[in-house]
Amino acid sequence: MKSEEATLARMMRAAQTGDKRAYAVLLSESSAWLARYYRRRVPAPQIDDLVQEVLMAVHAKRASYDPARPFLPWLAAIARYRWVDHLRKVYRADETELFDDSAVQDSEEDVVIARVSLERMFGALSDNQATAIELVKIEGHSVRDAAHKSGQSESAIKVNIHRGLKKLSALIEKAE
Amino acid sequence: MSRVNQTLIDSMVDDMQPVAPLRANYGWALVAAAAAIGALGVWLTAGLWRGGYRGDAEAIFYAANGMLLVLGAAASASAVVMASPGVGTRHDGPRWGMAMLAVLPLAAVVSALAKGSTGAILNDPYGLECMAHALVASSATAIALTLWLRRGAPVNPRNAGMLAGVAAGALGSAAYGLSCPIDTLEHLAIWHTLPVLIGGVVGRYAIARVLSW
Repeated sequence: MKSEEATLARMMRAAQTGDKRAYAVLLSESSAWLARYYRRRVPAPQIDDLVQEVLMAVHAKRASYDPARPFLPWLAAIARYRWVDHLRKVYRADETELFDDSAVQDSEEDVVIARVSLERMFGALSDNQATAIELVKIEGHSVRDAAHKSGQSESAIKVNIHRGLKKLSALIEKAE
Repeated sequence: MSRVNQTLIDSMVDDMQPVAPLRANYGWALVAAAAAIGALGVWLTAGLWRGGYRGDAEAIFYAANGMLLVLGAAASASAVVMASPGVGTRHDGPRWGMAMLAVLPLAAVVSALAKGSTGAILNDPYGLECMAHALVASSATAIALTLWLRRGAPVNPRNAGMLAGVAAGALGSAAYGLSCPIDTLEHLAIWHTLPVLIGGVVGRYAIARVLSW
């Protein structure tokens, strides 16, 4: 991962100076990295949309990358920001399958990925908040179904989603 | 990779132009220049209090203005860095600075209550004027930080806005402190710290609105 980080950072610095070839490779590599990054927490049919949103954000905000700092934590912060934004918007009941290829994930996991992963953010939520967001915003259940499955009241589900998303927004740059 | 992603990447590569990266050093220099403009404005419009730089003022005068300056520097440094996000970046320093500054009004209120002289706080004839001047002096820093953050990608716009407001309020108040000859604890602790509170609230609710992306 150290070499991947160094390579991506070098390509990003080149892209900022106008190197189109480096930029094309960087975006392709980032696209693949983002797809892996989202796999555990985003239903498969939504991953492409989310990756595209992040790529567009990277393009629009590429000046915000400070060449003196590492690249992947910058990309991960944008990925988290777009993901929390996505959770606020998405309320779909028909796309519930998570593509969980943990063999592939585990083989590529390393310290950097672990530190910047979405799981870390979920770990900072209370159990009830994490359950409410997982059931309603990720798996696409209705509030009533989520209340039934989790044993929480419907009001509690709504409150936990609201508070949980607010907390996630504040955790975007947190690594611990 | 999906065909849509590849098409998107191709179009972005076609569209790509060189950009000047947001280096934190540039941001800090920008804030320093804006704060200097605020201080220059105070000097030109209200003049400097000679007692302050001759060493005639009470110790609390230097302590309060020094605390405002340190808080302004800490909040500015964090706000500048927030334009370039990164997982693992911490922005806890200014919170400790804010807690440190909050000791001043608390001390003033406790002291006034103990002496039975709360009127000295509430009936300060120059308080509102000082606060208004400090807010005007903070405007250049507030504008500079807002523009800087809008160019960047703050992933916590509320916090970034609040820190920009706190930084502007603290630096503006420290700048106006060069001109204000009132060096009592009650005056400095209340009327020279209120711009920080106001800046933070305005930043949290107003500046944050223009920082979302």
